[in-house]
Amino acid sequence: MLAALVLLVTAASLLSPRFLTLPNLLNVLRQVSIVGILAIGMTFVILARGIDLSVGSILGIAVVLFAGSMDRLGMAVAIPIGFVAAAAAGAVNGIGIAYAGIPAFIMTLGMLSFVRGLAFIYTGGTPIPINSQQFYELGNGYLFGVPIPALILLAVLAASGFVLGLTPFGRSVYAIGSNEDAARLSGVPVRRFTTLVYVISGLMSGLAGLVYASQLSIGTPIAGQGYELDAIAAVVVGGTSLFGGKGSVGGTFLGTLIIGVLANILNLTGVDPFVQQLFKGGLIILAVLIMSRSGRR
Amino acid sequence: MPLGSDAHDGFTEPLLAARGMVKSFVGNRVLSEIDLAVLPGEVHAVVGENGAGKSTLIKIFAGVYQPDAGEIRVGGVPCRFRTPRDALAAGIVVIHQELSLAPDLTAEENIFLGRFPRTAISTVDRRDIRRRTRALFDQLAIEIKPDQRVGSLSIAQQQMVEIAKAISVNARILVLDEPTAVLDERRVAMLFGVIDRLRDQGLGIVFISHHLEEIFRIADRVTVLRDGRCTGSDRIDAIDQDWLVSRMIGRNFPQHIAHARTVGRPALEVSALSVPGHFTDVGFSVSQGEVVGLAGLVGAGRTEVAQAVVGLLRSSKGTIRVFGREVVIRGPDAAAQHGIAYVTEDRKAYGLLSNRPVRENLTISNLRRFTTAGILRLGSEAEYVRDMIRQLDVRLAGSQVEIRTLSGGNQQKVLIGRALTLAPRVLILDEPTRGVDIGAKQEIYELVERLVARGTAVLLISSEMEEILRLSDRIVVLRRGRVAATLMREEATESRIMKAAAVAS
Repeated sequence: MLAALVLLVTAASLLSPRFLTLPNLLNVLRQVSIVGILAIGMTFVILARGIDLSVGSILGIAVVLFAGSMDRLGMAVAIPIGFVAAAAAGAVNGIGIAYAGIPAFIMTLGMLSFVRGLAFIYTGGTPIPINSQQFYELGNGYLFGVPIPALILLAVLAASGFVLGLTPFGRSVYAIGSNEDAARLSGVPVRRFTTLVYVISGLMSGLAGLVYASQLSIGTPIAGQGYELDAIAAVVVGGTSLFGGKGSVGGTFLGTLIIGVLANILNLTGVDPFVQQLFKGGLIILAVLIMSRSGRR
Repeated sequence: MPLGSDAHDGFTEPLLAARGMVKSFVGNRVLSEIDLAVLPGEVHAVVGENGAGKSTLIKIFAGVYQPDAGEIRVGGVPCRFRTPRDALAAGIVVIHQELSLAPDLTAEENIFLGRFPRTAISTVDRRDIRRRTRALFDQLAIEIKPDQRVGSLSIAQQQMVEIAKAISVNARILVLDEPTAVLDERRVAMLFGVIDRLRDQGLGIVFISHHLEEIFRIADRVTVLRDGRCTGSDRIDAIDQDWLVSRMIGRNFPQHIAHARTVGRPALEVSALSVPGHFTDVGFSVSQGEVVGLAGLVGAGRTEVAQAVVGLLRSSKGTIRVFGREVVIRGPDAAAQHGIAYVTEDRKAYGLLSNRPVRENLTISNLRRFTTAGILRLGSEAEYVRDMIRQLDVRLAGSQVEIRTLSGGNQQKVLIGRALTLAPRVLILDEPTRGVDIGAKQEIYELVERLVARGTAVLLISSEMEEILRLSDRIVVLRRGRVAATLMREEATESRIMKAAAVAS
């Protein structure tokens, strides 16, 4: 996977002299940060052999809540409001799946529609502008010369890698994804941890919503539509198995970069945006094909 | 002349003749120079410990693997199987331990799946299917209704359906991979009846089994593999059990010395426990330092008793006491806190985290032990795992290999090791040696002895008489969900257990 990224970067730098410039690379990082954060949350879910189709909608509800409360209540209140809503949506997903036994695909598909509906009702269909300059800086500013969204993505990556690799919860997520019954028999609190996984995914969606709202300074109810598929694509290209128990957030990060670099180079070389879709689709299928080949003995 | 074929009379052309089979995986030679010939109307048993190369050999016959060297002839014609389809076309059908039937289709639909006969207007000719299925079942004397859903059939009946399916595609060579591992005594007899008829009809049968007494009941010829080599091949009437065992393990079977056990106070007391639909009024006790065997036929409710003890099944009445204190256990986690650990009979479904490393499989039950302030201490975990692997003598390339790559015996050792990370005071072993080779079996018995000597109370569920008799201080026999007898070690015999388990009193 790393080799694929290196190959892609090499090709990109040959195709466009502008590719390997620091501003462009930082720009790529900024551009992938939203989907990257979603994809990391999605990695938890997929590792536990689940799926979360509602991340785009949860991002959307968080965005309109941030926008609706930012100018009236200030950042310190607005940000928690969005996160609480996002976590609650994730918790409902988790409880429906882990305790009520609803298939993850159906539960989160329902949530995708439900939460998007809430975002439309809240805004009445019209975007809410955000005037806070401080909030704008969060999405567009730099710290140590690096875009703040990129720093957020890297922080989330490090924290998630830590949780998955070095905590009993993380180890249990892999176990649940590998064989849920065996995990239960081994005393893993499968239901509680499964719920937690969807709460994490919800929180990541809220965080991605935070970056989204601050980058655009506007809360539109259609924010994040279709992002769930981009997130799943990044996870899959990153080598995490849809059958659970196999993969890593590091892989997801690389997968996000691969897709981001591809999009960037297609942009730089002026490829028609419609044609770009073909490349992205082809890349996803190719990635899975290569993995299923190398996984076989 | 190559080894192994010299015993044939030379007049009958073998149906299947493999010569000089060699196969290596990443430089690791798993088969070297294996010869095997199967005559028409002959059952050829292949035995060997797990890891001896049986599975690899079968997979070559099935066209899953291609040999690095050697030649396969079917009916005298040299063949190369590039895919499973090629093997099938040559008339070789392999029936794996895990059956490959569609549970929601009927028996007859499964048999003709993918090649349904058609009527004149190209719909499925159900009448023809029914007629041909009946003929097949009659031919094999199988008593199954053709229109019965396969999912509602017993494992033994499902095997029969697979065999019927093989016959329907004109199989000439049938490879049965440990078909009896999941069958009780009565169903083994049924299966052997079918195998006998196939033999009479001139098929060649390759039969894999761990049960030596079965080999003597059914096989005409036996080939022993050890470490990928052939260590012996002969007619069954020319050999005896000692011959087989010594060639399988390459050493003489160590005589079991019955240790005098020091029995302590009662650790687990179960009284009048009932789970509706599974068992009624079951009571027994296990003390520190003793093994209590739970015997009975498959379906008598033994596993369910264990599951009720660890909280996987809700009991409707009865009590469980642990060291004298009455407890209510709501799940494996709670059971662990009371010092009770359970090792499942169904490794694949309820035991293995197949695609995770051995290390994680070992420690998943008790990660607390390696956690400080919420963070795993990988170093101390690794040290523990190394130690455990050595103690249990798990053979593997490293603790990072996925557990699914291990042999059954080694997988089982890891699962027992997983239970031991809880330092249990009561250990429930459910069929601990199922699908495990002789060498590993021996080691598991020794492990049980060591645990008992340290004061662990062991509840042993087993379908193997020899195992129950050998390890247990007392034997509780279940029949149809009730305790049919409780026998002391001195009074227990195979026939008494069998009678209690199978005969209504």
